[in-house]
Amino acid sequence: MMKPPLEILFSPTTGIELIYSFVIIVCSLMIYHSTKEAYKLSSYKGLKYFRQAFLFFAIAYLFRSSIKILLMFFDAKRIIDVSPMGVGIVSLFVFLYFSSMAVFYLVYSIMWKKWESQKMKGYIFNGIALIIAFIGAFFININLLIMLNLGVLAFASFALSSIYKKSKKKRSLFVTYVLLFLFWILNVIEIIIPDFLQSVQLGIYLISISLFMVILYKVLKTIGN
Amino acid sequence: MGKRAKLEIMRDILRVIQNNRNAIKPTPLLRKSGLSSNRFKEYYLELLERKLIREESIKGTKLVTLTEGGFRFIEKYKTIMDFIEEFDL
Repeated sequence: MMKPPLEILFSPTTGIELIYSFVIIVCSLMIYHSTKEAYKLSSYKGLKYFRQAFLFFAIAYLFRSSIKILLMFFDAKRIIDVSPMGVGIVSLFVFLYFSSMAVFYLVYSIMWKKWESQKMKGYIFNGIALIIAFIGAFFININLLIMLNLGVLAFASFALSSIYKKSKKKRSLFVTYVLLFLFWILNVIEIIIPDFLQSVQLGIYLISISLFMVILYKVLKTIGN
Repeated sequence: MGKRAKLEIMRDILRVIQNNRNAIKPTPLLRKSGLSSNRFKEYYLELLERKLIREESIKGTKLVTLTEGGFRFIEKYKTIMDFIEEFDL
């Protein structure tokens, strides 16, 4: 059943959703844009993957907000209840694909020197991201999707910890990234099963925004734009 | 050799050009860069390709000069390295 558009547009829930997505998209695009010259001058691979990760986050959150608006517009609990269903499924697929790719590329921006010899990693990242997106959007197998996402979190944490064990100096960056990945999973769960985390939704949003703002602050402080 | 060292070498080559009033012949540039001729050629071609340097012919002499991008690279080098260090890239 559809709600009247104006009622949806001016509801506090829509406002919170739009502000949340807007802040994260703006933070991600600011990170992408402010590192543009540094990458253009240096062509440094680590910078390239770092920038791509935040571009992917921006795309993922754009589609995330469209899913939330669709759910509210059709007063639906899950994406399969949205009519016409195709729009919701495609948005969910794109959201899951780009958010997984963002996590992979952020890990890769740090690990690329270690993994340089492995030629297939681009295909592997794409393949896993497509599998996650496919299972989430077309099979809607929640348990399998959560398990796959936890697997990605474990892989990301393990890969990063092998680097950070050697350097105590970078521990705050390691913690920020692991928290960012953890809250990415909570965002995925929150999209697939909206009722599941409703009571802590605002907390998830505030912490997610804080993490993106911490990274943006560090970027702007260093790059000086 | 790591990628970070590569950026450092590129900065050093650009600095040699800058310190020679932004015009130097390729042979003295090779000598002052402290690289083997093969490695120098590799870096030289990359700098040309990325438009950080350009070749000019003045009175029949081939000279290498910095482009606007080359000057900007030297100016921004420390910021770029700080960023790479900060985010462990």
